[in-house]
Amino acid sequence: MKLSGRKISRGRAEGIGLVSTSPISFLGDVDPQSGLITDHKSDISGESIRGKVLAFPFGRGSTVGSYVMYSTKRSRRAPVAIVNERAEAVVATGAVISGIPMIDGIDVGLLRTGDKMVVDAEESSVELPDVQLRKAVTSFLFNKGRVLLLKRSEEVGTQRGKWAGVSGYLEDDEDPVDRSRQEILEETAIGNPLLRKEGKPILARGNDTIWEVHPFLYEVDTREITIDWEHVEYRWIRPEGISGYDRVTRLKRVLDSLM
Amino acid sequence: MHLTAEQEELLENGRFGERKAMEILCALGDIFGADRLVPISSAHVSGVSYKTIGDAGIEFLTDMAQGTRVRARTTANPTAMDRQRWKEMGISDDFAQKQLEIVGLYEKMGVEESWTCTPYLAGNRPSRGDIIAWAESSAVAFANSVIGARTNREGGPSALASALTGLTPRYGLHIDGNRKATVIVEVSSPLKGKDFASLGCVVGEFAGDGVPYFRGLSASESEMKSLGAALASTGSIPLFHIEDVTPEHKNAVADGLERIDIGREELDEKAEELGTEEEPDIVAIGCPHLSMEELKDLAGRRMKKRKGTEIWLCTSRHVYGQARGLLDQLEDIGKVLCDTCMVVCPIEDRSRVVATDSGKAAFYLPKFCSQEVVFDDVGSLMRRFL
Repeated sequence: MKLSGRKISRGRAEGIGLVSTSPISFLGDVDPQSGLITDHKSDISGESIRGKVLAFPFGRGSTVGSYVMYSTKRSRRAPVAIVNERAEAVVATGAVISGIPMIDGIDVGLLRTGDKMVVDAEESSVELPDVQLRKAVTSFLFNKGRVLLLKRSEEVGTQRGKWAGVSGYLEDDEDPVDRSRQEILEETAIGNPLLRKEGKPILARGNDTIWEVHPFLYEVDTREITIDWEHVEYRWIRPEGISGYDRVTRLKRVLDSLM
Repeated sequence: MHLTAEQEELLENGRFGERKAMEILCALGDIFGADRLVPISSAHVSGVSYKTIGDAGIEFLTDMAQGTRVRARTTANPTAMDRQRWKEMGISDDFAQKQLEIVGLYEKMGVEESWTCTPYLAGNRPSRGDIIAWAESSAVAFANSVIGARTNREGGPSALASALTGLTPRYGLHIDGNRKATVIVEVSSPLKGKDFASLGCVVGEFAGDGVPYFRGLSASESEMKSLGAALASTGSIPLFHIEDVTPEHKNAVADGLERIDIGREELDEKAEELGTEEEPDIVAIGCPHLSMEELKDLAGRRMKKRKGTEIWLCTSRHVYGQARGLLDQLEDIGKVLCDTCMVVCPIEDRSRVVATDSGKAAFYLPKFCSQEVVFDDVGSLMRRFL
């Protein structure tokens, strides 16, 4: 699986990913002598950046941070590459002066600590050789202000016990609309839903998979459905209530794209 | 971003420092959507104090300085000590050695012996419309607002990159449309002394990285220096306009801008919030560095130090040179220190409470120097602690 971004600092490097969900200030959050993350609030607190592909949303803090990055490079404690969602001046400058390859424009939420990553700034890409891209459809059925959520059974292959829309794998040569209708028929026994909206595909991370999810919104004239073996429970909820459910990755984003 | 053949050549085959400089400018140009690099008439770099940049900074500068020289007039920020009176400041030999090494590296690259946050009072004074690349947030605010020159808020490495190439990416404040006001500030009370610093601190907090437009304000150049420094401390404000005062105030206001009223109550509240009532170890004036106008005012007060509190008057070596005739009166008040200031010197080694009239110093002393702050007018500070 290869994600495309934008080149910030030249070069190519590979390593194991260290992924922070919060912004990083190199002045204050990183000890340049040890290469350890010292920010207690960070989700990678205490981890070493040395030799890692360091991924975080964006940099923050003082411009002195650029020099601190240079120092980690000189003391051989630097990351081998940096991946940002949105580069800003301090980290970008630090990466450039330290000769650390860097790209931005990458959805860091798709990366996991421990992923093998190949960052190629010349190609503006980060490759995840052990992660595959698979396509899927997710449909929300809509009836009088409520949408259908289904709880996945213990029999399914992934994300067992999580709340989801009507979903299924999509093969490369398949039409997404046909597949979504097929899944609705299988999983709810509704045969004639009215397609209201098709959203832009959304990427979502599974274990060794990044899913390209094609979102659909269908209107139905009944809340009477029959679930199959893939689900154990269903509820018709108000769309804004989705936050309260333990749900499959990025389901809220998929729903938001349709509302 | 488009590069000329000559710029491509520097990026691919220049010396180490030149290649790195071009890479920095290209990365920033791409991030901020610049279309091309444009020539600058001057640069001002930050990242000089050993206390701030540490050994990492020395390593960086050592590598950058290999065979490279600045291609535009370049001045630099204060160091961590007065280069002549550092022993009086209690600076250790080791620390002084490191600081002098940094100074030497900048000089090797052709940076002028300036060591001030007020390059515009030390000979590096651009003209209206000049394209420059300056670090030091207070100098950026002054150059854009009071002079009408054009610079983005550069960091130490990017300003150095511009110095070494003579170029800066064209985006942000280099574009006319980005120099318009984003908020109107109606000042309903006449200001004096520390009020300008308080006003800057108040407005910086809500205007973020915008461009405030002040109405109802008259201010001298030194007062605008104080205002701009404070605006750029609590906020990231690179440019302000004052109606009928600053050079670009005409046509800076579009219809429908947000409007804020600031009066005596807000200013006094902010002043109270900035300071404590503790007994200061040091009274430090000159953030940004004192102008000739301010030194004359101080000297004209004909005061003599009687109490034990240490008093620092911080200025640039350049202005110090012009103030020769005033030095006797000034030294009666306190130490006139050059090349440094209360924020970038290791003041925390010998002080716990600092008194100042500067909004910028009042904002940074607790953060960077673990100091409590007494915030008041110069006149009151002198009456209380001289």
